[in-house]
Amino acid sequence: MTSGSAAPVDLAPTRKASARTEDVSGRADPQRVLADRVDQLYSQMPLGMSAHLLIGGIATYELWDERTRDLVLFWWGLVLLVTAARAVLYFGYRASASKLVEAAQWMRWLAISALAGGVTWGFAGAVFFPSHTDEQQVFLAFLLAGITSAGIPAYAASWPMFAMYAGVIVLPFTYVLANFGNRLFTEIAVLVPIFYLINVGIAHRLNRVFLSGYRLRHAYDRLTEDHTRLNKQLEQQIEDLQEARQEVEASGRKLALFAERAPISVIEMDANSTILEMNPAAEHMLGYSALELIGRSALNTLFPADEATLTPEWWTQFVARKAPANRVRARCLRRDGLEVEVEFTITPLVNEAGDLVSIIAQCQDITQQLEAERLKKEFTSTLSHELRTPLTSIIGSLQLVNSGVVGDASGEISELAAVAERNAQRLLDLINDLLDIDKIESGKFTLQPETVRLDELVQESLVLNKSFADRFRVGLEVRGEVPDVRLHVDRKRLMQVMTNLLSNAAKFSPEGSAVEVGTRCIDGMVRVEICDRGPGIPDDFRSRIFTRFAQADSTTTRHKGGTGLGLAICKRLIELMNGRIGFDQRPGGGTTFHFELPVLAEVTAT
Amino acid sequence: MPDRPLQRICYVEDDDDIQRIARLALERVGKMEVSIIGDPRLALDGILAFKPDLVLLDWMMPVMDGPTLFRRMRETDGLREMPVVFITAKASPRELDELRGMGAAGVLSKPFSPKDLPEQLRAIWRTLP
Repeated sequence: MTSGSAAPVDLAPTRKASARTEDVSGRADPQRVLADRVDQLYSQMPLGMSAHLLIGGIATYELWDERTRDLVLFWWGLVLLVTAARAVLYFGYRASASKLVEAAQWMRWLAISALAGGVTWGFAGAVFFPSHTDEQQVFLAFLLAGITSAGIPAYAASWPMFAMYAGVIVLPFTYVLANFGNRLFTEIAVLVPIFYLINVGIAHRLNRVFLSGYRLRHAYDRLTEDHTRLNKQLEQQIEDLQEARQEVEASGRKLALFAERAPISVIEMDANSTILEMNPAAEHMLGYSALELIGRSALNTLFPADEATLTPEWWTQFVARKAPANRVRARCLRRDGLEVEVEFTITPLVNEAGDLVSIIAQCQDITQQLEAERLKKEFTSTLSHELRTPLTSIIGSLQLVNSGVVGDASGEISELAAVAERNAQRLLDLINDLLDIDKIESGKFTLQPETVRLDELVQESLVLNKSFADRFRVGLEVRGEVPDVRLHVDRKRLMQVMTNLLSNAAKFSPEGSAVEVGTRCIDGMVRVEICDRGPGIPDDFRSRIFTRFAQADSTTTRHKGGTGLGLAICKRLIELMNGRIGFDQRPGGGTTFHFELPVLAEVTAT
Repeated sequence: MPDRPLQRICYVEDDDDIQRIARLALERVGKMEVSIIGDPRLALDGILAFKPDLVLLDWMMPVMDGPTLFRRMRETDGLREMPVVFITAKASPRELDELRGMGAAGVLSKPFSPKDLPEQLRAIWRTLP
């Protein structure tokens, strides 16, 4: 079932989603936040570089004079060099595939670049301020103130970077101001660090706002991811549940269909035998509609008062045992008052705690089956009697003629009488075999076991079959010593098996040869082998040799006699006596039939 | 084993042909004196009159079957101790046992061999006290 394999719903992310914002932003991946900050900082670079070049160019023009020409040129060169290096860094970053993983490294490079930028302006302040005119000094102060404050938005994503950048601009400038020897400049030198600190403070706060913005964005991304994953999980689970429900519904429908269409009656009852449900077959069998019976006691309604098997006492014991009851036969009372014989299979439904949930009775009206069995038995018995009675006269008459008791019959008369007797005997064998197999297969066959000595049994079988073997000019011999053991078997039936195997062997043996009977003990079983030197069993016949009416060649029936039932009966008889039967090809030609039977006890030599 | 040989047999059998064969078998092969009774209703008187050593009783007969006649014999003075051998065309061993359980001396099955019938009866005779 798919529902079994589905993962339980993980509610944890949902719970976190409803918590406070701080918790939420705490869920952001710090690496991603860093990478975002770095990206933000780099995105400011084109503007920064352009401003750098523009302002640097204006400053160069403004500060140009013959006296400081070399120094200004050097400075302008420095601005160009730093801007070029920053451009290289910028494009390097843009082209990088490892922005996320190496964010910290890019941040460090950027810090160096910011520092270099700051240094150029710090240089300008420190070198050009003392050497220029008042107007130019105002220009420079204004420029440095502007360039410093422009750093705030540019480096808002990293306040330390701003602090460093602005620091290298402000620090040399403040130093120059402080040492100028002018009261106004000294006062400004005091103010500049204050402005610097205020600016750093603003940058720091801006930085926090940026940071929290990034964190929220990432937390939101992650929440969205979680949400999507959870949704997918839920969808999958809902799908699984629906599938499971469909399966349950389908199996429910199947079960209902089984019960509804089954030819067997199904009745569900509780522990008090109150009928809870029944199928159409049960309605049909009992002649009641389900509505009439549901809620009524099965014991009081369905059984005649004198029912002996399914009594209230039986029911009480059954409910206490909670074990299934098979093939319980009882008489049932139909609605129309007719009694039917019903065979019940009653199964208690027990839950995991061992409590009885309900009781399912499957039942079948076997009245007709019993009647058919009775008729068959009667038919078989009558058939047996009616066939044997005339055969008694036929075989008896022919035997009397052939034995010469009623005078000598000569020549062809004697020959024909012998043919008639032999065929009448075959008819009798067939009837006996048919009755035997019928009895065995209907399960009505009972053995009459007694203790038998193996050596006596073997000897007796040879004596009994000698005259038959003589007809085919075949000898019967015991090979080796017969083990001194006893068997618990039906003597007559085992003799029937021996006779069958010996006569088969004799029938198919070449004239002048001998059928050998070998015996030996193997693991508490005795094995009896009947070996012939006949033509062997054809390949295509081997698999069905023990089936009914099996004969290798229908012409043998005419030539050698036999009903085709003998081996089938032998197999069933041996199996009834807890043995097994089989055959092997004999090396050098011929067949060995063998059976094994359990040994009762060794005869102790005293 | 009775001290005298088996000599007189009374056979209650409704089938004429079997009657004839049995008579031939017992008289010619067995050299016995035989009385055949075809109607089981006349059997009690017939047996009493003939005074056989042993009664051979068919199992299935119209009007009155062998077991019924057997029970009647057991209720009749002079026939209570009479050895009875059933002869039946019904082959069920369970039924044969049932007959043995009723107190019959022996049970033979049909078809019987006329050559062997006298000897089979003598074998049963020898088992009697």
